[in-house]
Amino acid sequence: MSEVSISSMIMNLLSDIVLLIGLTFVFLGMLGLIRLPDVYNRLHTTAKIGTVGAFGVMLSILMRAGFTPIGVKAIAVGLFLLLTAPIAAHMITRAAHRHGVGLCKESIIDEYGKTYKGSKK
Amino acid sequence: MISLLDFSLIFMVLAFIPCIYRVIKGPTIPDRVVALDAMTTVIIVMLGAYSYDKGSAFFMDVALVLAVISFVGTVTISKYLDEGVVL
Repeated sequence: MSEVSISSMIMNLLSDIVLLIGLTFVFLGMLGLIRLPDVYNRLHTTAKIGTVGAFGVMLSILMRAGFTPIGVKAIAVGLFLLLTAPIAAHMITRAAHRHGVGLCKESIIDEYGKTYKGSKK
Repeated sequence: MISLLDFSLIFMVLAFIPCIYRVIKGPTIPDRVVALDAMTTVIIVMLGAYSYDKGSAFFMDVALVLAVISFVGTVTISKYLDEGVVL
């Protein structure tokens, strides 16, 4: 077996592993979107879909396709999602808290609510 | 033999179901915004896998534009909820 086919086989295996990691995170995020009790808890899981899940799948496509147009565009989309998904999650959480969406009844502390109401006086 | 990327396409279609459930049932507005954001991410991943499957680089442009529009939409809705104005 020549050197090139061995390296491409290893790359395919690594790509499959990264793809499975990404799909696992998407599955866990969807599970949390159904099951968790609160807006803030649900945001905590869906931010993982945007960062780890989508970036894993796009990195896997880059590993398979190499530095062709498809691979470079895939890693560009993945890096953009990795940068902007936490910002969007932070902004919608802050807007929900200021809009008056309550926490679930199992939560024990609300640090941001205390500081926000303290600064408004 | 089904490849892993085909399996990921089927998986992403199944991942629509929790998002649609949360959009319909979610008690507050931020719940629905979160579910729509997750749905857009799922569509982006689907477009990426489909683009590699078909060997065409044009679907990846659609995914990039959809990512930009999703980010701007989420920021706009959160600004509107927070302050009552968009700009």
